[in-house]
Amino acid sequence: MASIKIKDMSVSYNKGKSYVLDKLNLDIKDGEFCVFLGPSGCGKSTAMHCIAGLLHPTNGEIWFGDEIMTSADGKKKDKTFVPPQERNIAMVFQEYALYPNMTVRENMSFALKTKKAPKEEIDKRVAYMAQMLSIEQLLDRRPAELSGGQRQRVALGRALVRDPQVFLLDEPLGNLDAKLRDQVRYELKKIQEQLGITTIYVTHDQTEAMTMADHIVLMKEGHIMQQGTPNDLYDHPANEFVAGFLGTPQINIFPCEVKGDVLDGGAFQLKVPESLKACLAAYKGKKVDLGIRPSDFELAENGGEGIHVHVDSIEPLGDAYLIYVRVGEKVVVFKYTGETAPEEKELVLRPNMAKLHLFDPTTEDRINK
Amino acid sequence: MQGNISSIERSKAGQQAQTVRVKPKWHMTALHVVYYAILIALLVFYMLPFWGTVMTSFKTNSEVMTSTPITPPTAWTLEGYASAMEELGLPLLTSLMVTLFGAAGSVFLGSICAYALSKWKFRLNNVFFIALVAATYLPFQAILIPLLQTINALDLYDNIWGLVLVHTVFGMPMCTVMMRGYYADVPDALVRQAMIDGNGMWQIYRKIVVPNTKIATITVFVFQCTSIWNEMLFALVLGGYDSKPATIALNELAGTMAAEFNVQMAGSLILALPVLVLYIFMGKYLISGQMSGAVTAS
Ligand SMILES: Nc1ncnc2c1ncn2[C@@H]1O[C@H](COP(=O)(O)OP(=O)(O)O)[C@@H](O)[C@H]1O
Ligand SMILES: [Mg+2]
Repeated sequence: MASIKIKDMSVSYNKGKSYVLDKLNLDIKDGEFCVFLGPSGCGKSTAMHCIAGLLHPTNGEIWFGDEIMTSADGKKKDKTFVPPQERNIAMVFQEYALYPNMTVRENMSFALKTKKAPKEEIDKRVAYMAQMLSIEQLLDRRPAELSGGQRQRVALGRALVRDPQVFLLDEPLGNLDAKLRDQVRYELKKIQEQLGITTIYVTHDQTEAMTMADHIVLMKEGHIMQQGTPNDLYDHPANEFVAGFLGTPQINIFPCEVKGDVLDGGAFQLKVPESLKACLAAYKGKKVDLGIRPSDFELAENGGEGIHVHVDSIEPLGDAYLIYVRVGEKVVVFKYTGETAPEEKELVLRPNMAKLHLFDPTTEDRINK
Repeated sequence: MQGNISSIERSKAGQQAQTVRVKPKWHMTALHVVYYAILIALLVFYMLPFWGTVMTSFKTNSEVMTSTPITPPTAWTLEGYASAMEELGLPLLTSLMVTLFGAAGSVFLGSICAYALSKWKFRLNNVFFIALVAATYLPFQAILIPLLQTINALDLYDNIWGLVLVHTVFGMPMCTVMMRGYYADVPDALVRQAMIDGNGMWQIYRKIVVPNTKIATITVFVFQCTSIWNEMLFALVLGGYDSKPATIALNELAGTMAAEFNVQMAGSLILALPVLVLYIFMGKYLISGQMSGAVTAS
């Protein structure tokens, strides 16, 4: 078990013409469940392959605890490089990579056998993990005879039976159907907590990240946009990208102008609350982007102050309603938790003034602390 | 019930759709007749010598003199085969040894080279590969004299192991080129996964690459066997009297025994038989197009 430290790591696939990862810095604590989150193609897998030792970064250092694994300084040859087979990591690849010549049982035992673990120990662990992932009845089949979801669970099991320093999981639940995904997600989180092994989990699914992570690293185009606990990122997004990436449905963004003590959104006016006055002082007469999450609205009882909206459509969620409304020309969504959906076409919404997010429209960075 | 009926009906409709035949236009039919006539003519043309060989091999020497080669023998006899075996017995054994060891040697070396070339990046990787491809086009006549001198210097002239060595070395480039293609089909993800699972380069070769390309290996081995079995040039130059492969012995059979055609034909068939059998049983795999399915993973 080990903490992971990445210092100024850059990766290029074309000898420095362009960088897929640019000066990445990262600290992952021992035993932490860290999620690399970001849209497809942002460099999550690349970062993970560097940690595994399957890729050589052009620059930077990677440490496991106080042992240096990779150290490169732009030269052809790395200063230090521990090959992947000596790093004691377990990994699930996005493309499963099950050994076609081996049964599921042999696949799962393979790494432990390579390490010459005693046979009873191997059998015990494989049986336990097969049960946790409900693949016991598949143990004597070959990968070609499994469905996508089954292969994915086998790949996961093959990593989890080991006792590595670090788990590296690259979109390990991507091919499971929704119900199974929830179940395996729960099992995985439980197993990780039990074993207490440092884990890096790659996903583009914000729900997975929010539910499992101790530490989210949100990436975009090779840069870390923000990192922290799921609540940090959700409650205090550092910029509009982070705000938009976390939370479903997406946060509503209103371009506004600061006019004295009032935020003017064109179709509505909001009084700036005391707590935001200080940070908006510099924006007098300028534009800001106002972000309000769909769950941070409530219906104003019988008129009252707020944003006047026209109801477009209503989506029942079972325990709540998503109500799509028009504010001027803009379509906005809010989450209504009442028993029955409101019948009126014209509503007044009151945003939760404590949970407003303000962003600079040019830099897209957060204004309020 | 409702569901049952409709599903049966649907399957009937499906069958009908499958069995509807398009009636070909008359000129298409005529063309087909012409095509088949040409094919049959070619078949006869190619098979006639073989037919003649088989028929002659079962005749007595006197009947060979009095009949045309393609008429079946009046009295079937194995005389020709018996005489041929007297001359070919030992050379066949030599051929078998040279073929098996030579093919095994070149496949083994070729496999290792192919693994390194297809799965590991190193400097001059491509240069090595191009050199090997070039080696497969090397005309053997050009190097025959120096080769003979080398074999002499190694004291391997007229020695089975000399032939084995030469076939191993000269078969290796072809084996490498063929196997590199098959190994490239083994997904790199498997190699990476095996590394993560704690295996070094040679463990990966042994535990992952070789077991997943068994059919490819057998294919290359069979290919190599047939080319060594049929080979004459090295056999003639490097095999003297004691280690004379069957191809040479067959040639001598033709040269020494004046016009005993039944014996010569019997000898030819004996020599051709192993290759024929191999192709009949392995033909499926030897068509390279079939290979892709055999090694793909995931
Ligand atoms: N082997 C490669 N060669 C060149 N470019 C690559 C290679 N692998 C990935 N890339 C590029 O690097 C970027 C990041 O890829 P990746 O790390 O796989 O993203 P993610 O896993 O976040 O979807 C992408 O733009 C992709 O096109
Ligand atoms: Mg990826």
